[in-house]
This record gives sequence, C-alpha cells and structure tokens, in this order.
Amino acid sequence: MAFDLPSISKRLYKTLANLRTGIVLLILVGIAAALGTIILQRPVTEADQLTAAYSPRTLRLLDRLALTDVFHSWWFLTLLTLLSLSIVLVSIDRFPNAWRFYARPYRKTDSHFRTANPVKVELPVRNAHDGLNAAERAMKKLSWPVERIADGNEVSLYSERHRFSVMAVYLIHASLLLIFLGGIIDGIFGYSGYLMLQKGQTGNVIETRTGAKKTLLFGVKCYSAGQENYADGSPKKWWSKLAVVEGGKEVKTKEIVVNDPLVYRGLRFYQASYGSTGKLDGLKLVATPEGGAGREVILQMNESLDLDPNASVTLAEFIPDFFIRDNQVFKRSDDPVNPAFRLQIKNKATGEQAVQWIFPAYNETSQGQTSNYTFQFRGMQLGYFTGLEVSREPGQWLVWAGCILMGFGLFVAFYMVHMRLWVVAIPDAKGKLVLWIGGQANKNKDRFEQKFIDVVEGIRTELDRASTTPRSAHKDEPELTLVAAK
Amino acid sequence: MSTRARVVQMEPPAATGGNALLILVGLGVAFLLITALLGAAKTGGPLFNESNLLYVALIFYAGAGALYMGFGVTGVTKYVKVASVATAIGFTANTLAVAHRWYQAGRPPFASIYEMLLSFVWTVAALTLVTEKKLGVKIIGSITMPLAVVCVILMQLLPSEVRPLVPALQSTWLHVHVTLAMLSYAACAVSFALALMFLIKDHFPTETFLALTSGMVSAIYIAIIATRFEKWGGLSVTAWDAKDKSDMFLGRGVRLFVTVPDFGWLFVMAGLAAFVPLAFYVLARVQKNHSYIGIANKAIFIGVLLQVIVLAAFVLRVRDASYPSPFQEGLYPTSLAASPFVLGGLITGVFASLLYLMLLWRRTDLEGLLPSADTLDRVTYKTICVAFPLLTGMIAAGAYWANRTWGSYWSWDPKETWAAITWLVYAGYLHMRVTRGWRGRRAAYFAILGFGVVIFTFLGVTYLLPGLHAYA
Repeated sequence: MAFDLPSISKRLYKTLANLRTGIVLLILVGIAAALGTIILQRPVTEADQLTAAYSPRTLRLLDRLALTDVFHSWWFLTLLTLLSLSIVLVSIDRFPNAWRFYARPYRKTDSHFRTANPVKVELPVRNAHDGLNAAERAMKKLSWPVERIADGNEVSLYSERHRFSVMAVYLIHASLLLIFLGGIIDGIFGYSGYLMLQKGQTGNVIETRTGAKKTLLFGVKCYSAGQENYADGSPKKWWSKLAVVEGGKEVKTKEIVVNDPLVYRGLRFYQASYGSTGKLDGLKLVATPEGGAGREVILQMNESLDLDPNASVTLAEFIPDFFIRDNQVFKRSDDPVNPAFRLQIKNKATGEQAVQWIFPAYNETSQGQTSNYTFQFRGMQLGYFTGLEVSREPGQWLVWAGCILMGFGLFVAFYMVHMRLWVVAIPDAKGKLVLWIGGQANKNKDRFEQKFIDVVEGIRTELDRASTTPRSAHKDEPELTLVAAK
Repeated sequence: MSTRARVVQMEPPAATGGNALLILVGLGVAFLLITALLGAAKTGGPLFNESNLLYVALIFYAGAGALYMGFGVTGVTKYVKVASVATAIGFTANTLAVAHRWYQAGRPPFASIYEMLLSFVWTVAALTLVTEKKLGVKIIGSITMPLAVVCVILMQLLPSEVRPLVPALQSTWLHVHVTLAMLSYAACAVSFALALMFLIKDHFPTETFLALTSGMVSAIYIAIIATRFEKWGGLSVTAWDAKDKSDMFLGRGVRLFVTVPDFGWLFVMAGLAAFVPLAFYVLARVQKNHSYIGIANKAIFIGVLLQVIVLAAFVLRVRDASYPSPFQEGLYPTSLAASPFVLGGLITGVFASLLYLMLLWRRTDLEGLLPSADTLDRVTYKTICVAFPLLTGMIAAGAYWANRTWGSYWSWDPKETWAAITWLVYAGYLHMRVTRGWRGRRAAYFAILGFGVVIFTFLGVTYLLPGLHAYA
C-alpha cells in the first residue's frame, strides 16, 4: 500500500467527523475517568498507602500505564483532545446543512410537501383572497408573525417561531469547547500552591504541590487569623486579615473566610487551614514582690520587662510539653499540653541573675528562688498560622462563560420549539378551492398539535365571520395586492 | 407458549373479594400508626417532630408499595388507586418532615447524606405524583415507592442529628448545587422507572427480566460475601459506638469489624438460591428448552423466601449485639446503623425479586394499566430532557462553588468525576436519540444504565471512594 498522505488525512477526518467515533471516545473517556477514581492516584495519596494497597509488581505496572495518575497522563489528555477534535469535526460536518436550513427557510410549499406533511387541515373557502386574509387575521390574533409569500400569481402565508433553536446544538458544542479551552489554558499557564503565614508575617514564596517554590511579584501580610467555634466545639469559621504588599506599600486589605477569597492580579488566596505553630505568643503572669501587691504582666519570648526600677524579667525558654530527668527539663513533644517556662530575673543594681521555672500543670514554680518576686501562671497565648491556598487560573473566565453559554444553549435546545405554519389556497382533490393549512415542529410534537388546532379553529371562526358579514364592513381593510408578483 | 401455561399454573389463588388486601394494609397502617402514637405519647416528646413525621411517611410509602405489590398478585385495579392516595399522604408527611427539619436547623436540609436522602425521597415522591397525574403512568409508584422505602429505611439508620454547617458548606452555592442535584437525580429515578415500564409494555420477554433480576440479586450477594465473608463462615459487620453514634475505627480511616459467627453461610446459601434462576435461564437458552424457565421461576420464589429469612436474621442478629473482632481482642457492639449498605442491599434484593414476581403473575394487567409504549418512550425522553440540563447546572454550580472554596473548579475528585461520567452517559443517550434516531429498547437500556450510574455517584462514591467531597 502506497503511503498516501491526503488519503490518510481524509480517512482520519472521516473517522473523527463520524458521530459514532465521538460516542466511542465519550465511552473511553468515561471508562478512563472511572479507573482514575477506583485506582489510588499518586497526587492525592500518600506513598505508603499505595505500597500498602498494591504489590510492588502491580504498582510498577500501574505506574508504567500511568494508571496511578490518570488525569495527568498523556493518554488521557490525548483522549480528551481527540474528543474535542471529534466534537469540532462532527459539528463542522453537519453545519452546512443546518445553516442552509436556518438561513434559507422553506417558506413556500409544493405539492409533494403538502402530501407528505402529516399535520394539515383543509378548509373550504369561496375565494383565495378572502381566505388568506381571514387566515392572516386569525394568526395575528394568536400572535404568530405572518409573512406573505408571493410567487407568480400564487400567494401563500408562512409563519414560524424560534427558528434559532435549530442552531442551539452548535451553541452547546461551542460552549463545551470553551470550557475545554479554559481548562487547557489553566493547565498550561495556571498554577497553585500553598502559603503559610504567622501573625505579622509577610510572605511571597508559595510551595506548589510538587514541592517546587514559586516567588510571587508581591507579598501578602497576615495581620491576624482565627477560628470561631459552635457551642459543640466544631469549627464554625476560619478567618484571616490579609494585606497585599507591593513595592513596600499596602495596596489592598481584606478579611478572608472559607468561601470568600482575596483576589489580586488574577491570584486568589483562599483560607485553607488554620492551626497552632507550637510557639508562644504571650505569657500572662502575676508578679508579686515580697510583701507587696501583685500585678499582671504579659511576657513575650526573649523580651525583657521592667518589674520595678531595680528588677527586670525575661522569658528565656518555652517548652510545650516537658518532662524532668536528673533535675533537668526536657522536651517531650510539640503539643502544648504540659508546658514549662523559664524566667530570668535580673537585679539591675547588682547584675545578679536568678532563674525560675514555671510548670502550670503542676501549679508550682521551681525550688531555689533567689529573687524577691514570686510568679503565678495566668494564661498563655500560642502562636498560630493561617494556611492559604494560592491559585492562578487565567482560563476560568472562559470556563464560566462556557457554563453560562451551555445553560442558555440547553434551554433553547430543549425548551424552545421551532414551529412552522403554512397557509395556501389550492384546489383540493375534487377541484374545490380550499385553504390548505399545514404545520411542523422539531420537538414536543403533541404540544404543537394542540397549538395547530387552535390556529385552525381561529381561522375557521374568521372565515365564518367574513362570510356572514357584508363585504362593506371590511372597507378599511387593506386590499390584498400582488405587487411582488409583477 | 409453554411459559404462559406455567405462569398460569404458578399463579396464586385470586383473593376472595378485592377488599381483603385493602383491609389488611389498612389495618397494618393503622396498627403501626397507633403503636407509633403510643410510643410518642409514652416518651412524652413532641408529637409532630421530624422523626415521627418521617415514620408516618415510611408507613404510608410502605403501604402504597404493598398495595402496588398486591395489585401485582391479585390484579385488582382498585389497589392502584388507593396506593396513589397512600403515596399522597406519605408525601404530605414527608413534606412536613422536610419543613420541620428546615425550621429546626434554620437552613435547608442539604448538609449531610441523611438530609440529602430526605430531600431526594421527597423529590422522588413529588415526581411520582406528577408522573401519575399529569402523564397518566398510573403504576410508576410500583418502582419508585420501593425505592423511597429503601431510602427512608436507610435514613433511619444514618446519623440524623442536626449538625451545624462546617465552614466549607456555608455558602449559597450549597443550596443551588444540592437543589439541582436532587431535582436531577429524582428525574433520573423517574426516567429509570419509565424505561422499565416501557420494556414491560414493549413485550420485553419476561424471562429476560428474570435473568436480570436474578443477576442483580446475585451481584448484591456476591458483593456482600466478597467483602464480608470471614474465615469459618463468619460475616463481618462494622462495630458501632452507640455513645458517639458512629462507626468504630482501628486507626485513621480503618474501620473496626466484628464477626458474626457462622452467619456467612446463610448469605452464601441465599446468594446461591438467587443465582439458580439465572443458571436455569442460561441453560434454557443454551439447550433451547423452555421448560427450564418454569423451574427458574419456581427457584426465584424460593429465592425470595430465603432472602426474607436472611433479612430477618440479619436484623435480629446484628441489632444491638456484641461480637468478637478478628483484629482486636474483646467483644465489640454493633448495630444495624453500622451496616446501612448491607441492609439496603438486602432490602433492594427482596423488592427487586417481588417486583419480578408481580410482573410474572400480572403482566397482562400491568400492561393494561400502562399508556402506549410510544408514549412511555417519549415521556422517558422528556424526563431525561429535564434531568440533563439540571445535571449540567448541578455540575456547573458545584464547580463554581469548589472554585470559591478549594481554589480550583475541577480537581478530579471521585464525586466530581462520577458526576461527569453520569453527564457523559446521558449526553450519549441524547446524541443517539436525536441524531441516530434511537428509540424504544436501546434508549430504554441507556436510561436504565444512566440511573445505575446516578445511584453509584450518589451513594456508592460516598462510601466506597471518599475524597474531598466528604460531606455527602
């Protein structure tokens, strides 16, 4: 067989432009997507979970076939591309016919059509002129837009509604392509990552899912963040007060919550998580001098605070969860369940330093106090972080536009019926003059038949009235002219 | 022809007087209502709360279902009319239950799988009444009412307390998304029932229904046995923590199972009995000997009896009992609430078999009550024409909401992916119908397949493939 490029491309075109190919692709995409939900996917599962679920051999096979990451695999993307291509080609293949139908409506009936069309009625009339006039009046009363079609000596009426509904299917396919295009743009130009900020911190480096770092053109500062709970303790709200810092200036501030992100220059910052850093952000104590009255102080890490002109205190160490061995304090974990604090009290006059430990869980302070102050624990504030999901999706507007277009298209395609009516005065089989009334609808045919009957009844009533009233009563009525027939 | 003869042979004696079952069901409904009333009066709680109303709805839906079945057994058309009234009463109670929960929670009931089922059952009942009254498909309830009953029973087992909305769910889009989902899923359910009715009216062979029923019930039992059958014939069920009202867990995401000793054998037996009719059907097809179909029909009768025994035994043995666990020392309690899907599967099996028997015994009467095959075909298509745009809207609203919450409009989460697959199936249906002129059976198969995927997306994914979409 000779290598014949035009013939191959023609064949390929024919295959892809075939609706059956489109349906096969649709089924294949469905099966592939189903596999992607049943087989554990690498991007969303921990590595040890995968090794626990599959034997090494199976896992190797799955990996080789990219079945552990279906939705990013080349073959799945190929399938989607082929499906889009098929949609385009099938649409192109069918478009000319549809367009001809749309652009050049069939206005004037011929005898073949009149015989074949199933929805029709014949009403006897005395002359064509009066009959058509009566029909026109009746149709206008029922708010059908009527056109007079003149061809030679023959005049007929044509009326239609919602012709554009025959093109809705192209709208739907176009909207699907718009959505795909948006998805592709986001796949190429979009990115997403994670930014963890503590109170007061400004950050501009996000970590993407693959672990890579990406530097943003501006920074985001977190003023504060918090969590509110329901009475039963379950979380009700997470919030963060954020500011965008660009060129050393704050250009935008917003308090974000879940469902309501901060948007700046196409980047979105979503409230994704909230939690404790395990670090201290303020220790509340009551400091009591010997023989004096106590006063409440708040200490920050490594900051010294004057208690009186001669003494100052510094919070030198914080251990979230401590244990004691050999008279030494050690850390057990980062959970702030059993904290310990080391204070340094300095006598400014003598330069003497005293050390004091506070263990709130045991309601005591360490032995061997050498300063003349006692301290009582009142509370502590832990540092927290807010986790922000950052994403840039420049194609999303195409996706939303596609969704709206699709909604519109589906509405038109499913609920707007293209209805047509023809009225012409012709002799019937026996040679008597009748008004032939025919109709067609492209869907919802039983409903249309009811409408058709209404029109016919309307025309019958008008005809009766015209025949019982003397002709002079219609003097102001415009005469039927056959100008177009000249 | 031999099937027909056998069918007549197997037919139970006609009920003496058409009112026997009416009185029986009436008495049953009255008895259950009075018991419920006494129970409510004894505990002194409010009479018209959501769970009581839902119970009333369940009683009436079940009564309607029983009457449809009764029609199947006796052929008395009066039952269908009364069943329709029972459906309407059940629907009223269901509406009040939804309203009560809405009022109590201060938000529409869309936040958990329990609330979703509540809304789903409501929509299915509403559409059933519409289809019955407006479209003239009088016996559609014989398929949708059992579905409603299974759902309400499932709901009785699922944790039902009103929980405050977690932050991600506090969005107007929740309501848009879920309303569209429930409407479209209920429309899909109705299209499924209509497609089945079409097949009945279209002289789809009864024995193929036999094969399908037997195959489906066998599949349910195979699924249960494959996942739950333990060594020495035990059957595992999830352990239940009555205090927390939740499943017990060994570790993160790993459920603790307990084993009901020797119980698995009963399931194997019922599974085999469910499979026998299919085997005889295949035999009849291969050997071209129609008399095997008669045996298969008898076998399905035995199968139903065994299934009912399994169901009763399951309820008795699993309800509030303690069993040893193969994974951890000691006895652990379990409850029906811990096995909603096993129970749901068993009840679905019984209903499917009963529906088949109804078809077997009363096919001509059933066909007499149905509109023409052509009408059914068209109404199925119309229902899907309603379901499909709603489905599209549901996915779009979900994507928009996900974009506001998770930072991405599409993340190939299992629920999302399966919603897309459902959409693809119905899109395929529409294309085949509009451009290829698929009518009748092939279209009906597509509608049935579509609803299968809907059920998997709605319930299957929630329990088998949990992902980001963890609320329901």
